[in-house]
Amino acid sequence: MLRYLARRAGGLVVVMLLVAVIVFIIARVVPGDPAAVMLGSSATPADVAALRAQLGLDQPLPVQFLLYLRQIASFDLGNSLFLNRPVLQALGERAQLTTLLTLMSAGIAVLIGVPVGVISAVKRGSVIDQAATAVSMLGASLPSFWVGLTLIEYLAVRHAWFPVAGWGDPGDGLLAHLHHLVLPAVALGLPNSALIIRFTRTSMLDVLQDDYVRTARAKGVRPLGVVVHHAFRNAMIPVLTVIGLTVATLIGGAIVTETVFGLPGVGNLIVSAVLRRDYPVIQGTLLVISGIYVLINLAVDLLYAAVDPRVRF
Amino acid sequence: MVEFAGRISRRGFGAGLAGMAALTAAGGVRRAQAADNAIVIATIGEPGPLDPTIVTSDLVSIITQHIFETLYTFDGGWQVRPLLADGMPQISADSKLYTIKLRSGVHFHDGSAMTADDVVASLQRWLNLSPRGKQVAPYVEQIGADGALGLTIQLKSPYAPLLALLSMSNGAAAIIPKAMTQSTAALTTYVGTGPYRFAEYKPDQYIRLTRFDGYSSPVGQPDGYAGERRALIEELRFVPVPNPSTRVDGILSGEYQFADSLPAEMLPRLRGKPTVSPITVKPFGFPLMIFNSKAGPLANPVLRQAAQAALSCGDMLAAAFGDPSFFEVEGSIYAKGTPFYDEASVTAYNLNDAGRAGTLLKQAGYAKQPIRIMTSQQYDFLYKMSLVAQQNLQDAGFEVDLQVLDWATLLQRRGDEKAWDAFFTYHTFVPEPSLITILNPAYPGWWDTAEKHAVMDAFNGETNPARRVEDWKKLQGLFFQQAPAIKVGEFYNLAARSARVTGYTTTPWPFFWNVRLG
Repeated sequence: MLRYLARRAGGLVVVMLLVAVIVFIIARVVPGDPAAVMLGSSATPADVAALRAQLGLDQPLPVQFLLYLRQIASFDLGNSLFLNRPVLQALGERAQLTTLLTLMSAGIAVLIGVPVGVISAVKRGSVIDQAATAVSMLGASLPSFWVGLTLIEYLAVRHAWFPVAGWGDPGDGLLAHLHHLVLPAVALGLPNSALIIRFTRTSMLDVLQDDYVRTARAKGVRPLGVVVHHAFRNAMIPVLTVIGLTVATLIGGAIVTETVFGLPGVGNLIVSAVLRRDYPVIQGTLLVISGIYVLINLAVDLLYAAVDPRVRF
Repeated sequence: MVEFAGRISRRGFGAGLAGMAALTAAGGVRRAQAADNAIVIATIGEPGPLDPTIVTSDLVSIITQHIFETLYTFDGGWQVRPLLADGMPQISADSKLYTIKLRSGVHFHDGSAMTADDVVASLQRWLNLSPRGKQVAPYVEQIGADGALGLTIQLKSPYAPLLALLSMSNGAAAIIPKAMTQSTAALTTYVGTGPYRFAEYKPDQYIRLTRFDGYSSPVGQPDGYAGERRALIEELRFVPVPNPSTRVDGILSGEYQFADSLPAEMLPRLRGKPTVSPITVKPFGFPLMIFNSKAGPLANPVLRQAAQAALSCGDMLAAAFGDPSFFEVEGSIYAKGTPFYDEASVTAYNLNDAGRAGTLLKQAGYAKQPIRIMTSQQYDFLYKMSLVAQQNLQDAGFEVDLQVLDWATLLQRRGDEKAWDAFFTYHTFVPEPSLITILNPAYPGWWDTAEKHAVMDAFNGETNPARRVEDWKKLQGLFFQQAPAIKVGEFYNLAARSARVTGYTTTPWPFFWNVRLG
């Protein structure tokens, strides 16, 4: 197990290094100039050039790259060109929101996806199954921003049950923050539950036809016991992979959802940074998100062992 | 097993509903509390550094005009009026020496009293760092303190736009404590003399300004930005909401008390709602198609005139804004009702004459070189009008290469004279013509002819208001004759305020002093 973890940690370092190089290149290859954006459209080229020099953007790219690598090596992601603070601090300020949003969305996706998938498989061919299939197909086709705008219109504007946007007022507690996250989490979680429904259903159908399930039924185990103790646990292995991938997808989906709901999360930070060409923020944020992706994959691999005793590292 | 699943599902559903109800109740209480003492203003996005001197963006000035003040400001008729200055300046007979008296008893937000030393240092910073200050700097001989509450500005030659430039709230000659003027970097602490003081900045979340109890207001009836300023609301909270439909939803739900820059097509959603008052901001701005007068095919003025003849500005505006109440087919650079409006000098506007354009193309010897037009979908109205322009130009015989870029790329590329032939942008209304970017020879487009120089110098040197208007007419005539750009027309901004907000004055840069929350 430890050897396995050490091997994966080594792989993580290599992946992160590659990501660092790729992100730096992409950020600089895309045209656009943070100094021009910062100064506004009235600025002349001379004003822009002066600010570029002040920000160190006039230095040759290899020099900028070496400085960037040196920063990363000391776990420093640099300073935002716009936000007047270190990238790590900016990320930290937004991490709570995005983490909560991702967890709530994942919770909604799993709480809907797994039970509906199981029932759909057990009641294969029934009206419930067909309805679940239709709803999941529809859910998979709905973009989260559209779901978000529709939820805002009906639940926030017309009924004022939830806030339209934002993260609450200064001094708000966790409860009020969570209240602001309900609609975004539903907008993000609902379309993603469709994939989990499909995978759970398929996986359960496979397992329900296995010999050991037939044996359990023949032994007289109650139908609920067969599903819960024999079929469900084994069916969960491929579903776990999908849930892991869904969580990773939710982080990406948060970019759009946070923009629609005006949430000051990591997704919004990335969008703003790209529009402003805030290179340190683009680089630092993508680096951290890539690291989280890799860690989620590792966690999912480790969970296999917990779910299936045959899996050993 | 269905029974089991159903039990879990119902229990989970019930718990979920209870949780959401608790959250709804908790949030509702909080929102109601916040709305009693604060006004929430939904803006188009994150402003970045809140330095009104270095940055010229409208968003920054909308926020910072509550914190920082200038020596002068504009009244409702866009005439210069005193703000931190005690009355209008004494100007010498040769128009080169300005003697300015400062109001006494003005304090900065840090508690220190404003003196002439602070003002001199602030103006020096403005001359060195502000794009507008740099425009003035070549004319300034010296700025000096004259006692604790007096200063003099000695010019090398008369420069009529000086007071207007000192009155602007973006690229502003903001007065700050002398100690803060030493660095050339953008401000990171925000200490001014305005009716609101900076309290907190959470990027992408909010900027909080709170009432400055030590504020010393100018006297007189409020008129535009001039006159008495009273901070009647305890806290202003500027919230970045980049998605325009979310801004509309927020004002409709009562979450925001003011929402800026709303899409014109959303007006029907705001009309007839008792809790919301839509606002149409007139004048607001004008879209521009700027030609590259320095390099490439359009450096030939006859080709620019051909493009001018080909374009249908009316169609471009209709495509961009739809609802006619949000635009006007108007060629005069200044709209009707403003001091510099002039119809007679608008000689070539909205012609849409492919025949005339074709003749001019032949005269210019146009050899079908592609005309590279840069536009951006980040400003939807610019993109839509660029599509119409493309069609107009192709109909007249131009070869057009329409390049759709993101705004940051366009801003970068326009600095390279070899990268483009035309680009679309827009200009917010400015009360002083010399502030119009295309008149600056260093601005991309680089309109820099001898005739323009001569007329511009005369205009800038003329201090008599009536004669200035006459000079402006000559400059506008030259604009249409040499065609450095196309002024597409006038467009108006849609904003909205809560019906609870009273005392609001409609301006291009919304301000919230003298505003009450009912």
